[in-house]
Amino acid sequence: MNVGTAHSEVNPNTRVMNSRGMWLSYILGIGLLHVILLSIPFVSVPVVWTLTNLIHNLCMYLLLHTVKGTPFETPDQGKARLLTHWEQMDYGVQFTASRKFLTITLTPVIITSSSFTYPRFRYILTSFYTKYDRVHFVVNTVSLLTVLIPKLPQLHGVRIFGINKY
Amino acid sequence: MMRKEKCQSKTAFFPLNCPISLKVVFLCVFVYNNMFVCLFFYICFSVFQVHLASCYGGLYGRPFIESFEETPMLVAVLTYMGYGILTIFGYLRDFLRHWQIEKCSIAREKENQKDFVPLYQDFENFYTRNLYMRIRDNWNRPICSVPGAKMDLMERTSRDYNWTFEYTDRVVQDVINLGSYNYLGFAENTGPCADSACEVTMKYGVGVTSTRQEIGNLDRHEEMEKLVAKFLGVESAMAFGMGFATNSMNIPALAGKGCLILSDELNHASLVLGARLSGSTIRVFKHNNMQSLEKLLREAIVHGQPRTHRPWKKILIVVEGIYSMEGSIVRLPEVIALKKRYRAYLYLDEAHSIGALGPKGRGVVDYFGLDPCDVDVMMGTFTKSFGAAGGYIAGKRELIEYLRSHSHSAVYATSMSPPVVEQIITSMKCIMGEDGTTIGCKRVRQLADNTVYFRKRLREMGFITYGNNDSPVVPMMLYMPAKIGAFGREMLKRNIGVVVVGFPATPIIESRARFCISAAHTKDMLDRALSVISEVGDLLQLKYSRHRIQPSPARPFDDNVYEDIDD
Repeated sequence: MNVGTAHSEVNPNTRVMNSRGMWLSYILGIGLLHVILLSIPFVSVPVVWTLTNLIHNLCMYLLLHTVKGTPFETPDQGKARLLTHWEQMDYGVQFTASRKFLTITLTPVIITSSSFTYPRFRYILTSFYTKYDRVHFVVNTVSLLTVLIPKLPQLHGVRIFGINKY
Repeated sequence: MMRKEKCQSKTAFFPLNCPISLKVVFLCVFVYNNMFVCLFFYICFSVFQVHLASCYGGLYGRPFIESFEETPMLVAVLTYMGYGILTIFGYLRDFLRHWQIEKCSIAREKENQKDFVPLYQDFENFYTRNLYMRIRDNWNRPICSVPGAKMDLMERTSRDYNWTFEYTDRVVQDVINLGSYNYLGFAENTGPCADSACEVTMKYGVGVTSTRQEIGNLDRHEEMEKLVAKFLGVESAMAFGMGFATNSMNIPALAGKGCLILSDELNHASLVLGARLSGSTIRVFKHNNMQSLEKLLREAIVHGQPRTHRPWKKILIVVEGIYSMEGSIVRLPEVIALKKRYRAYLYLDEAHSIGALGPKGRGVVDYFGLDPCDVDVMMGTFTKSFGAAGGYIAGKRELIEYLRSHSHSAVYATSMSPPVVEQIITSMKCIMGEDGTTIGCKRVRQLADNTVYFRKRLREMGFITYGNNDSPVVPMMLYMPAKIGAFGREMLKRNIGVVVVGFPATPIIESRARFCISAAHTKDMLDRALSVISEVGDLLQLKYSRHRIQPSPARPFDDNVYEDIDD
C-alpha cells in the first residue's frame, strides 16, 4: 500500500463524512460521552449536560475548524493544506447533506427534560435541564456560538485576526 | 354493461357514477392487480442478478454478474471507532515525542533551522508515522526467488516497532504467492521463455543505450510490435519501456486543450496523471455507471466548452479493462454503444485484463466478443500476464505512426531491453499457440477455472468479495484497520503471501486484501490457501457476508458526490 491515493479522488478527506455509518457513529459517540459523564458520582444532571455540550463543542472545534490539511500526502499539490476539515468537506460545496447534519446536531445539546435527544432540540433541551440557570445558559450559548459561526458559508476560508492562517 | 367493461379493463379508470360499495370493490381490484405487478417486478429484480443479459437487447453475449455487498452497519461503526482510537493514540505519541519522553525516529528540522519555513510538514506525516509504521512489515517484503506460484521471502525482524528492519539470514521457503500479477504464470526462470531470453541476451546484450528514434530500434522491437498487433487484431502497435509511462506520456499526445476527457472514478494514477498533463478538461463519471457517462456526454455535447460554448475538439472516454482495486470489469458493450452514438473516442487500458480475460486470452474485447476496431486506442501492459515489463498502445496505423513521432516516451525514453522483448515475443506466441504447443491455451483456461473456483469458495465461506465473477483480481474486505495488519501477518505465519490495502488508497471503511489468481496455481495450492484463509477468517472474524448481494448497477455509492472542478 502506498500512503497516498491511487485513483482520481485526490483528497479522501472530502468524502469521509459521507461514508456509510459515519453519522450513526457520531451520534453514538456523543451518547457514549454523555453516559460516561453521567457515571461520575458527584456531578448533578444539569452540570453533566453542560459538560457534554462543552466537551462536544470543544472537540468539534478542534477537529473540524482548527486542524488544517490532511494527515496524509495528497496528489492535489497542497490545495487543501491551509483548509480546515470543514472547509475541505465536499470540496467546499456549501449546504450538502453532511454539513447540514453536523450543523443541526449542534443545537440540541441543551436538555432539561428527561426525555432525550431529538437532535434539533438539544440546545433547547440543555436549557430546560439546567432549569434555565443563567450561568449555564451563558456558558452553553457561548460554546454553541464558537462552533456554529465557523460553519456559516460566509466564513469559508476566513481567518479572523490571522489566527490559524498557516 | 358499462360497469362490467370497466371491471375487466386493467387501466386506472375509476368509475365515478356507481354506488360506494362498487367503488370499494374496484379500488380493491385495482390495488390487488397492481400489487401483483409490483411484487412480480420486485421478485424479478431482487432475485435475478443476471438481468442485464436480457435487459439490453442482447448487447452482452454472456451473463455479467458483479457484486459489491454493502458494508454492515455495525462493522462501519466499529471501523470508525478503530480509526478514532488510533488517532487519539497518535496524538498521544506525538505529544510524547515532542516532549522527548519517547524516542523520535522520524525526520526533524535541524535546530538552527527551526525558524525557517518548515521543510517537513508535521501533520501530513501523521498517518504515516502513527498508523502506517505500525503495520509496515506487511509491505515491501524482499523476495529472493522468482515470484511464481510459490516464492521465497527473506525473513526480517524489527526491534523498534517497524522503524528499522534487520534480516535474520533465514529464508522463508515456498510461500504461496497470492499477490503477484502473474495471471498466466509466465513469471518463471525455466522453460522456453527464459531460454530464448538468455539467447537474445548473449546476442544483443542487456542494455540498448539509446531511444527508439535515434539508434535504439532493434529488429526484435519491430517483430514484437507486429506480433502485438496481430495478437490484438488491430493494424499496428507500439511498445514502451514502462506501463505507467505509456499512459502518462501518450494521453498528452492524443488530447490537448479544447478536448474533453471523460474518465472513470477509479482510474489508475497513470491515467489521471496523463489526463492532467494533457491540459484538457477532465470530467469524472461514477464507476462503471453508464447512466452517469451518458449524462456527462449529453451535457458536454449540448453545452460545449466551458466559457465559450464552442464544440469540443474531441471527446475521449478513458476506461480500464479490469479495475485492480475493485475487481470489476468495464461494461464495454455499453461504452462502445454510447461512443458510437455520441461520436466520442475510446481509450481502453487493459493493464490487468490482457491475457487474463477472454476464451483466447485476448483481453476484455475478446471476453465480450466485440470487434477490436471499435476501440480507438487499445493500451495494455506486458507486466502482468506476459511476465515482462513495459506497455503498448495499439490501434489504427495512422494513430501509431502519429505516436511514433509525437509521443514523449518514443522520443526521449530508452527503448526496451532485448531479453524483455524476447520474453514478450515468446510468451505471446505461446498464448496464441504459434509455438506449436497448447500450453498457452491450457493456461488461459486454467486461469478461468481457478478464478471461478476461488471466488465461489470464498463466497461460500462467507467472505465479502467485490467485483465481477470472472475477474482474476479478488478483493476481500477486511474493513477494520487493525485487521489489515493482523491478516497480513497471520497469513505469512502460515506461509501465504498476500497484499493488503487500506486507507487512503481505498475509501476509509473499505480496506481489503487483494488476491491475484494465477494459472500457475494448482488446485492443491488453492485449496490450501482457501483453508488457511478460512482459518484466519474465523480467527479474525472476517466472515461478514449476509448474502445480501445487490445486483449491479445498484452499487452503493453516494448520490451527492462533488468533484474538484478546476476549469
